[in-house]
Amino acid sequence: MATTTTSSSAPAGSAAAPRARRARRGLPVARTPKLVTGVVIGALIVLLAVVGPFVVQDPSRVSDVGLAGPSGAHWLGTTQTGQDVLAQLAYATRGSLTVGAIVGVVALALSAFFGIVGAYAGGWLDEGFSLFTNVVLVIPGLPLVIVISSYVPNKSIWLVALVLSLTSWAGSARVLRGWTLSLRNRDYVAASRVAGEKRWRILLVEILPNLVPLLASQMVFAVIFAILGEAGLSFLGLGASGSFTWGTMLYFAQNGLALRLGAWWWFIPPGLLLALFGAALSLINFSIDEVVNPKLRQQTRGARKGWRMTRQQLARAEEETR
Amino acid sequence: MLFSSRPSRRAATVLAAAAATTLVLTSCGSGSSGGGGGGGGAAKGSITIFNGSTGTLTRNFNPFSPSLLQPTLGVIYEPLYYYNLATTSDPVPMLGTGYTWNADGTQLTITARQGAKWSDGQAFTAKDIAYTFDLIGKTPSINASGLKIVSSVATDDQTAVLTFSEPSYTSEAFILGNTPIIAQHQWEGLGDPAKTTNEDPVGTGPYKVKSFASTSYELTKNDQYWQSGKPEVTNLRYISLATADAASAALTAGQVDWMSSFLPGLEQLLGKQKDLTYVNTPALTASIFTCSSVALGCSGPQTDPAVRQAMYYAVDRAQLNKLAGGGFAATASPTMLLPDRDQQWIADPANTTVPQSPDAAKAEQLLDAAGWVKGSDGIRSKDGQRLSMTIQTVTGYSDFISLNDAMTQEMKAVGIELKPSQLSYNEYNNNQVQGTYQLSLDSIGLGPSSNPYYTYQPRYTTAATAKVGEAAQTSGNYARYSNPVVDQAIATAAATNDADVQKQQYATVQQQIIQDMPYVPIYVNSTLTEFNTSRATGWPTNDDKYAFPASWKSWDNGQVLLHLKLAD
Amino acid sequence: MRYLAWKIGFYVIALWAALTLNFFIPRWMPGDPVDILIAKLAQHGPVAPATRRSIEALLGTDSSQPLWQQYAQYLHNLATGNLGVSVTFFPSSVGQIIAQTLPWTIGLIGLATVISFVLGIGLGTAAGWKRGSWIDNLIPVTTMLQSVPYFWLALILLFVLGSTFSLFPLNGGYDVYGTTPGWNSGFIGSVAYYGALPALTIVLSSVGGWMLGMRNMMVSTLSEDYMVTAEAKGLRPLRIMRRYASRNAVLPSISGFAISLGFVVAGSIVTEAVFSYPGIGSALLQAVTSNDYALMQGIFLIITVSVLAANLLVDLLYTVIDPRTRARA
Repeated sequence: MATTTTSSSAPAGSAAAPRARRARRGLPVARTPKLVTGVVIGALIVLLAVVGPFVVQDPSRVSDVGLAGPSGAHWLGTTQTGQDVLAQLAYATRGSLTVGAIVGVVALALSAFFGIVGAYAGGWLDEGFSLFTNVVLVIPGLPLVIVISSYVPNKSIWLVALVLSLTSWAGSARVLRGWTLSLRNRDYVAASRVAGEKRWRILLVEILPNLVPLLASQMVFAVIFAILGEAGLSFLGLGASGSFTWGTMLYFAQNGLALRLGAWWWFIPPGLLLALFGAALSLINFSIDEVVNPKLRQQTRGARKGWRMTRQQLARAEEETR
Repeated sequence: MLFSSRPSRRAATVLAAAAATTLVLTSCGSGSSGGGGGGGGAAKGSITIFNGSTGTLTRNFNPFSPSLLQPTLGVIYEPLYYYNLATTSDPVPMLGTGYTWNADGTQLTITARQGAKWSDGQAFTAKDIAYTFDLIGKTPSINASGLKIVSSVATDDQTAVLTFSEPSYTSEAFILGNTPIIAQHQWEGLGDPAKTTNEDPVGTGPYKVKSFASTSYELTKNDQYWQSGKPEVTNLRYISLATADAASAALTAGQVDWMSSFLPGLEQLLGKQKDLTYVNTPALTASIFTCSSVALGCSGPQTDPAVRQAMYYAVDRAQLNKLAGGGFAATASPTMLLPDRDQQWIADPANTTVPQSPDAAKAEQLLDAAGWVKGSDGIRSKDGQRLSMTIQTVTGYSDFISLNDAMTQEMKAVGIELKPSQLSYNEYNNNQVQGTYQLSLDSIGLGPSSNPYYTYQPRYTTAATAKVGEAAQTSGNYARYSNPVVDQAIATAAATNDADVQKQQYATVQQQIIQDMPYVPIYVNSTLTEFNTSRATGWPTNDDKYAFPASWKSWDNGQVLLHLKLAD
Repeated sequence: MRYLAWKIGFYVIALWAALTLNFFIPRWMPGDPVDILIAKLAQHGPVAPATRRSIEALLGTDSSQPLWQQYAQYLHNLATGNLGVSVTFFPSSVGQIIAQTLPWTIGLIGLATVISFVLGIGLGTAAGWKRGSWIDNLIPVTTMLQSVPYFWLALILLFVLGSTFSLFPLNGGYDVYGTTPGWNSGFIGSVAYYGALPALTIVLSSVGGWMLGMRNMMVSTLSEDYMVTAEAKGLRPLRIMRRYASRNAVLPSISGFAISLGFVVAGSIVTEAVFSYPGIGSALLQAVTSNDYALMQGIFLIITVSVLAANLLVDLLYTVIDPRTRARA
């Protein structure tokens, strides 16, 4: 937790404290334990995704050692058909993170465009974008995935990611639109307009920075949604079942009654990695919040409590200044 | 301002509460309320059955409807004869006690059972048999077997005569074993037989409907049943479960008495429970379907018979059984019949079973002789075409997916590349029907009787197939196989009732299909059925196959229920 | 007033666009419902060659009608409340299936969503208000729970609490043995007992999201100047929290909540698959796998209408609770 050392004197002094904690030049993020944990966990998982598939065995290789627990030959045991779980996990991590990355970027871009630009512009553009967003929001995602992927004989990760992003940006766009509508009537925006700033500049310089925490949290949600959505689709048997992702691993584990047969090494790791990755992203999200809104750092209630003077202090101050 | 005096958070709570109340008020108690639901499954004299229903149930006991509730056929309504597909045996008389064909197979005379009653107390007579077939003949939408009925009359209370427009020996099994006999006095007033849901069926079977809800329904003993003293079990409770995991949980918790699910690790699951047993009755031959005919529009290496033969020899069936079949699969036959049950129909004893271990040398020899040369990466090619084929299966079929994975490895050893793909059931089925596939994993199924006609005719005749891009007959000749010798042999077999003539014709058929191998058999899929013996005993066993034990099998389930005794 | 008319007008257009899409989507899916139905029949017993014709006659599927004629018929049917006949549950009507299954889904999932929202907002308010207190420590835990794949958590809980410890039932909506459906205490008690574990899993997996969003917004709101003013003026802390801070902070969450209410149906598919719950999600899954056009369209219609209604409500509500949106440049 961030502990700011504030004195009971003027708040200006407290600005010095976080500056001292800023680690190095060029690293704008304060090193809190939350951030460090998040980054470390996230980085480890990304490392597994990038490097893992090069160093593990062939995940598709069947063998006669079915449903065996962790051992020297198979560090995380085997599946029902004798495939190495650790190898599958490495490939699955890569697959899921790919889905997450694609969806995060595409969904964010789409929602930012349709949400913010439309709401800021107002008038027909706003109404048009809003209408389009509503229509997209209302299309049921599940059958859309089936329809689109049915045109491609082999459902791949890219296809699932694309369809997930096409069906997930609309909710975010609505939220962004709502906030932009609020923001564009704030004083500082009006002031900039009066001062004659170009509209796109106002959007970029005044409005967007205030939306950054919202955008960041939306992107985190989009990535988590993508990975969870892909897992849910795979569980129903509608995902990219020919590829390795956390979701398809869980699907096959579930079909093989892994949990019921006691094969925890097959069922637990994919779900656990998924949860850890999501938690890591959220921890990073908290820290981003604190950076972009400096007020979040010190203007906590606790800090303000520190300014409060007791009645005696007030009385003494009055006497002193008389 | 509406909310000026209230904080928005409370407003949100109020809104939420209002929404919740509205939602709750609009939801009434679900399902149609049936009769008393008390004294159900856990009580003595009652068993719980899971027959594979998932999701919500609708009250449809119409035996002619495609979306009927499965116990309708066999438990509520009965056929004329019962055909046991588990072993070779004569048909067992049920509502019919005798039948004879005329000389050219256009007239069938049936003797009705005396003393049987409908569940509402009225007597069963041959008039009901005649009415049933008359209705079927007049209503094409319920004539699923395509019976060419000209007339159906009851000459007296004991005899019914059916007249057909053409020789119909091959329809015998459909008529005698697969037609539910309905009550004239009930169905006369029911309106369109195809569209009714027949919510309160009147049948001759051992049970009748007691209550129904959208997740489960209950049947109770029919006191008018014509076999006295049977059935012993008084109440049946059918339930609906969504996944195999839910089914295995219910089984191990002792909540289900009879179900047929392929559960991985079955022996481990049942190991500690002394009340749970299972029986394995393999019946469907899992095979690689190939789109085999260039003339009908197929393309790819699988159109070369040498490739198909090579695949036949390259697979390691023992390993496949262990990894994919759970050790429960049985040995298949290149004749596509069941080696133990159909011994009498297999002409050449050498063709009884498929090889259990791979013969890589023979496979390689066949491919070499056909001109497939091994490339640098180990995969063969010929005239610029790589020996690489796509093989499709359905996403949910994990045992078939495991088959694909294992076969890919085994075939690589001889230079064949397989590219497995998993599709939704719609796409997969569509591809097979249209012929737009190279290889596909599927099973060849149960016919109405064990006569090989029902295996060969739909899968190997030209009449049952179509060009690639056109729809083949359902469950038909997806392999696009067209062989005039086979067509002739099957036509000759169909025109007669003489088993020896048929056997001769089938010998010709077998010779041809083993040579051409448009379907490459792997093994016979297990059919696992699990039982709980703490409430009822007398279930079918491997030594006593008095019926096909699967809980989803129509007609046979009635026989099983008649055989059960209450446990002490 | 003119603003209101504009809003409603646009929602009508959105509704029409969504309905048209709902008409086309099932038809773009490959496979013929008749073929699929027959293929499924074939898995359980012998199917004679003539079955195809007989089933076509049963369903009355006339794919020879031109598409625009089918579309016009579809719109007319919708207007008269005729949702058609289901192929999967033939000959039951779509309306019957929906009436049978929808209450279960709304009852369970809807209530669980509401509980999770209220709980999440409450906890998030407390967490944002008392930053640094023990409640703040709940955030990583609930966020981690939210990142857990729902069905994974549900399966584990079902296994532990249902099979290993037998605290909760394994499947179903109510006790089929001892209770009769109806407004009696036995049935209602049974429904509550059977719905407890699914509801628990839904609440556990989604409360984190509401909590996090609310907490972030609370923290942002608390840093506003008028908060300092309120404190300086000596208002009671609880009053500040309830009347000023949370009221402003909950705005994005309300929008999100309305959207999520609209997706109750679509999101129930996984829950019902895990717990064998007899709701509309499992009906949708069955419809999708059997190419049941009519049932799919019927369920899409429910989803469409509920999402649009929720959005319209939120839009109108926004103009009421946030006066800033009313003032347009």
